[in-house]
Amino acid sequence: MMPVIDVKHLTKTYTTYKRGAGAGQTIRSFFQREEVVIHAVNDISFAIGQGEICGILGPNGAGKSTAIKMLCGALYPTSGEIQVLGYSPAKDRKRYVGKIGAVFGQKSQLIWDIPPIDSFNMNKAIYGITTQDFKRRLEELSELLDIAHVIEKPTRVLSLGERMKCEFVMAMLHQPDILFLDEPTIGLDVIAKVKIREFIQQLNQKRNMTCILTTHDLEDVEELAHRVIVINHGEKVFDDSLQRLKLFLGEKKRVSFTFADSAGKTVFNNAYTKVIDRPSDFQITLEVDTAQISISDFLEDISRKHRFSDISVKELPIQQVVMNIYENAEGVPG
Amino acid sequence: MKRYLEVFKQCMYSAIQAAAAYRMNFIISSLITLAGNILFPLVTLLIYRAGTSFPGWTLYEVLLIQAVFTMSSGLSSLIFGGVLWTTMSHIREGSFEVILLKPLNPLFFIVATTFSTDSIGLFLGGVALFIFSVIQAGAIPLLFWLQFIGLFIAGTAVLAGLSLMMAAMSFKWVGNSRISELADSVLNIGKYPLPIFPKAVQAVATMIIPVGMVGFLPASALLGRVQARDFIAVLPCLLFLAAGVWVYRHMIRLYEGVGG
Repeated sequence: MMPVIDVKHLTKTYTTYKRGAGAGQTIRSFFQREEVVIHAVNDISFAIGQGEICGILGPNGAGKSTAIKMLCGALYPTSGEIQVLGYSPAKDRKRYVGKIGAVFGQKSQLIWDIPPIDSFNMNKAIYGITTQDFKRRLEELSELLDIAHVIEKPTRVLSLGERMKCEFVMAMLHQPDILFLDEPTIGLDVIAKVKIREFIQQLNQKRNMTCILTTHDLEDVEELAHRVIVINHGEKVFDDSLQRLKLFLGEKKRVSFTFADSAGKTVFNNAYTKVIDRPSDFQITLEVDTAQISISDFLEDISRKHRFSDISVKELPIQQVVMNIYENAEGVPG
Repeated sequence: MKRYLEVFKQCMYSAIQAAAAYRMNFIISSLITLAGNILFPLVTLLIYRAGTSFPGWTLYEVLLIQAVFTMSSGLSSLIFGGVLWTTMSHIREGSFEVILLKPLNPLFFIVATTFSTDSIGLFLGGVALFIFSVIQAGAIPLLFWLQFIGLFIAGTAVLAGLSLMMAAMSFKWVGNSRISELADSVLNIGKYPLPIFPKAVQAVATMIIPVGMVGFLPASALLGRVQARDFIAVLPCLLFLAAGVWVYRHMIRLYEGVGG
């Protein structure tokens, strides 16, 4: 299969200056600055086929956003080559960006003071969408995302979830071939996250749309991605299927309890649980191997021993994933 | 071209809608801009009332220069005024990619989306002062009006070029928010009759940073006081605008974004 995205030895380097901490170093840096070269993305290569949903995972500052901005044509690479849909994104930017859509979780394309419908109309003009197509697509997207009731309210009064759904409409009105999503679920509540994920899945299935998704939320990747690339310190440390990533991770979850009674005498370390954090006898975070015990059995076991007032079940943090990948790099199971 | 006109129309509509969303802010901003910029002719009035003058220039001739300067500033600010601050804030916040994601010339898009309705007051204030001063000048032949229009456009091109160059510097020197003060100081030369300045300043203000074109030369054209050689100054004005566009487009390549 011909890749729609082909990246070879992509590198982005920034030069910045060390400023130091404290008054003395700040004043010194004003006269004499130490140059620091940052390799935000360092010699990354990969190819992505039509219709794939590829998750780019990595901790904060790993280089995910820089990579996706170069793929979108917004940043010039320092070296290396990018071909997307036959275009070189930064060089052919004007023609290229008409073929892609992008949603940046932390940067809005909506105009803050006016209703989203006017921002949509702006995109209608920008992409030269006919009135008939615009109406039809807007109707479809509004229905899928359930936002018909908010698009005529000023953007500034919308909730984060509503705004994010409108960002998706902005990105989809011109029916792009590839959708780039940079932390699309950041800050959203569970219901909004589920809705956004469902929407991305529908787009992928109905239109065979290729999606590139950067996130540090493992749930996004588990729910959406067919393929995962993990970046750390600008370098690619993993590039394979979601199933293979799970071999690195194991079937583990982090469960945090707030107990109503003291758990001071209870031993939690055993074959399937490990204590991660125990700030007091009433609070504890455990890592549970769900391959060995189901979450429901585990909770039943704990509730027999203690009463708890609060509980949360989360995926492993991305830093742990990266650590697992490094630790198991030579002995991957399967 | 049709698409660009359509985008511009939509941007105007959005700017007016945004201004209408905060009506009181719009009215107060317009008044402050107007007051801040048209009060300086009062200084001219005081100078002449005190019995002194700019040699060779009557009060109404100087007021006409200042009216043309205000109109030109208003028009430029209306169209290009937001480019500097918007570019600066996009770069500092790392949101310039939102502009680069549109399949348009980024400079056009940023100009279109920053249509500065606050400057309507300044432009209209300039027009009012212009009408008042031009009436005092008596009958003006059609040829002078045509010369005025040509030179006025050239003067607005200088202001646009200056805005673009200052905005372009933000790509390299992020957060350089006081740069506009430097430009304002240079521009002040255009508010007065050029002959009152030393020859070297006159040469710079005509041929290198052609600020003389912003107020002085178009007003002189209306008064029939330009000479053929003054029209040569149109060329550096157009070059100045072209340089502004080129520098801005070139500097976009330096955009680095911010950490995600």
